[in-house]
Amino acid sequence: MTISQILFIVMSLVVLGGGVMVVAARNLFHAALFLILSFFGVTGLYLLLDASFFAAAQFLVYIGAISILVIFAVMLTRGAMAAQPANSQWPAALVVSAILFAIIAVIVGPIAVTIGERQFGDVSWPSVVEGQPVPAVPDDILVRLGQSFVDFNQYAALFLLAAVLILVAMVGAIWVARDRTPREVIEERAELAEESQDMAPPQHQLPVKNAEAVEAPTAGH
Amino acid sequence: MLNGIPLYWFLLVSAALFCIGLYGVLARKNAVAILMGVELMLNAVNINLLAFWRYMAPGSTAGLAFAAFIFVVAAAEAAIGLALMISVYRNMRSVDPDKLDTMKL
Amino acid sequence: MSVIDTINNLIKIVGDAVADLVVGILGAGQIADLVIMGLGALVLCTAVALTFMGMTWAERKVVARIQNRVGPNQAGPFGLLQPIADGIKMFTKEDTTPASADRWVYNAAPLIIATFALLTFSVLPFAPGVVGANINIGVFFVIAVGSASTVAILMAGWGSNNKYSLLGAFRTVAQLVGYEVPMLLNVIPVIVLSGSMSLVDIVQRQTLADGNPGIPFIVYLPLSALAFFIAGVAETGRSPFDLLEAESEIVAGFHVEYSGMKFALFMLGEYVNTLAVSIVFVILFLGGYAGPILPSYIWLLIKTALVFFVFMWLRGTLPRVRVDQLMALNWKVMVPLSVVNIIAVLILAKVFVTSPGLQSANGGILVAPEAQALILFVANIVILLSGLSIMARRARVLRLAEEAQIESRRAANRATASNFIGGAPAK
Repeated sequence: MTISQILFIVMSLVVLGGGVMVVAARNLFHAALFLILSFFGVTGLYLLLDASFFAAAQFLVYIGAISILVIFAVMLTRGAMAAQPANSQWPAALVVSAILFAIIAVIVGPIAVTIGERQFGDVSWPSVVEGQPVPAVPDDILVRLGQSFVDFNQYAALFLLAAVLILVAMVGAIWVARDRTPREVIEERAELAEESQDMAPPQHQLPVKNAEAVEAPTAGH
Repeated sequence: MLNGIPLYWFLLVSAALFCIGLYGVLARKNAVAILMGVELMLNAVNINLLAFWRYMAPGSTAGLAFAAFIFVVAAAEAAIGLALMISVYRNMRSVDPDKLDTMKL
Repeated sequence: MSVIDTINNLIKIVGDAVADLVVGILGAGQIADLVIMGLGALVLCTAVALTFMGMTWAERKVVARIQNRVGPNQAGPFGLLQPIADGIKMFTKEDTTPASADRWVYNAAPLIIATFALLTFSVLPFAPGVVGANINIGVFFVIAVGSASTVAILMAGWGSNNKYSLLGAFRTVAQLVGYEVPMLLNVIPVIVLSGSMSLVDIVQRQTLADGNPGIPFIVYLPLSALAFFIAGVAETGRSPFDLLEAESEIVAGFHVEYSGMKFALFMLGEYVNTLAVSIVFVILFLGGYAGPILPSYIWLLIKTALVFFVFMWLRGTLPRVRVDQLMALNWKVMVPLSVVNIIAVLILAKVFVTSPGLQSANGGILVAPEAQALILFVANIVILLSGLSIMARRARVLRLAEEAQIESRRAANRATASNFIGGAPAK
């Protein structure tokens, strides 16, 4: 067993163990921390794959940004932390996931399986020769990646699209999650009062848009 | 760095991570937890893309480029999704997707 | 090899000798490599920890001098043994855990912050050939690893189960995540000019050698250097940006519940991060270990000490900023200026090239490296001054409008008041 294999197994255990705890942990904050652990393992796998740029990007984007966002969301919605972690369909979900994994494992796995007349598994991937060392990554791969992003015959259009996507997402996220000004809150209350068809005095609570809250003032009449 | 690791090891880990994420999406009760499941699935996809790039076409940039786009999409998705969640929580005091049924007839 | 060469390469020679010794005992192979790497990491961590002790002493002395005090002077000559006394005190303190704390999260946070603070040093070049790992994405790695401290601070804030800790953690995230943006943006011009993300290559580009004029990047990019430095101060959470542990507002922020060695680990993390930011600033903008006459590691030491002195100077001089000022400085001043600066540097570096090879490949005007430096310097200064003057004018308009409003309100109040005095009170 080589050092690379040991590293791979350790990293995979970190990734999968972290992943299992993400979906199993009762405390959502702990789930978010295990999510970070899982991301960290994925960083290690990228390093094994000689994709050090992507390992650093994974660290910066997933651990430094996305998981912080997740933790913030967990803290801001703290009042809604469910007592039981799973909904009623969790056995079905477990079965579906297990079956999907079994199918993929048979297809990509090393063991040849014959079902009916078709044979699955033990795929010989083109240009991957068993037992032979994998060809090295060229030194200038990052330079070429950068050039392919600005080359209109390759990914320049996609690159611009991704830039627009992230800009729109940023503006949208700020707009959706913004704090409303007092004036807006008053206007919304007025709308709610009109909708409920009576001039109930303004409620001393945050405007609640769901059905029960709107009907509550009329229930007394 | 890869001596002794066959390609299918990476594919199996990626498949397992994807299925764990899928279970999280299907079975969790909290919308934030569902988003965590989606993030796991996106990571599984990225492992797959980079593994195929490394083993089958290390000289080409296609795998790397698509992995980079997945980073962008994941960041955008997380920002929008969590903003929606906070907004929904502010209005409904709940982030259980089963309870968000006011649009139902 | 002459005496001067020996002194210049002292670290490398000693390191090679130790490596040869290990290979001699264990034989060449993976195990010997592992042992050598482990020894290197051990030496690096020990050196950084010793520097941390020196830094605490220096900071207390310098800030005391600025504030017209004496500072530590009891333990040893000039109080030099004060850090050791502090260390012994930290060791003997009771290691408490709040009863309602989230035990694992609470205990893991200081370890994570110290680990990732030390990890940064694995890619920093200290002298020619003395670098843990010369990876081709050095700058990116440093900034990525630096972002891990945010997670650890959130863990500390949540795990303590204390409202001040949580408030401190929230503030920290807003500050650290925000200031990462100008930090990354201001590294980009350096990467453009040096054509590499490797820290060794960036230093090489600023060293006097064949083809290179040996001009540090702070001459090319004064605006970037300034913005990177301000972002660095904010990233390390030091005064005047120490909102995350503002004693007078939120007790001590995220580490209010920690005591003993765990608290010491937080202090270690903070100072080691400061040291790392100082060294990265030196490498990116001041030419790293490059310098005449003196050995390279001495030059690095001098430059880093200089940058750290400015850190201490700021701490001793400036009052803490408000949260809204902090955010406004970041998003309304530094980010726009940095983006404009990046665009200008990209265009100018494309138009005024210094090597004939680049000119024949991409076109452009061939100029001497000194001329390129001058052009970029002027462009940076123009962007900085014009940007600041536009903002100052806008801020003046806003302030005048506000003052006019206040004045009119005051006049109205005065009118009402004179009514009271002159006539009968209105009921």
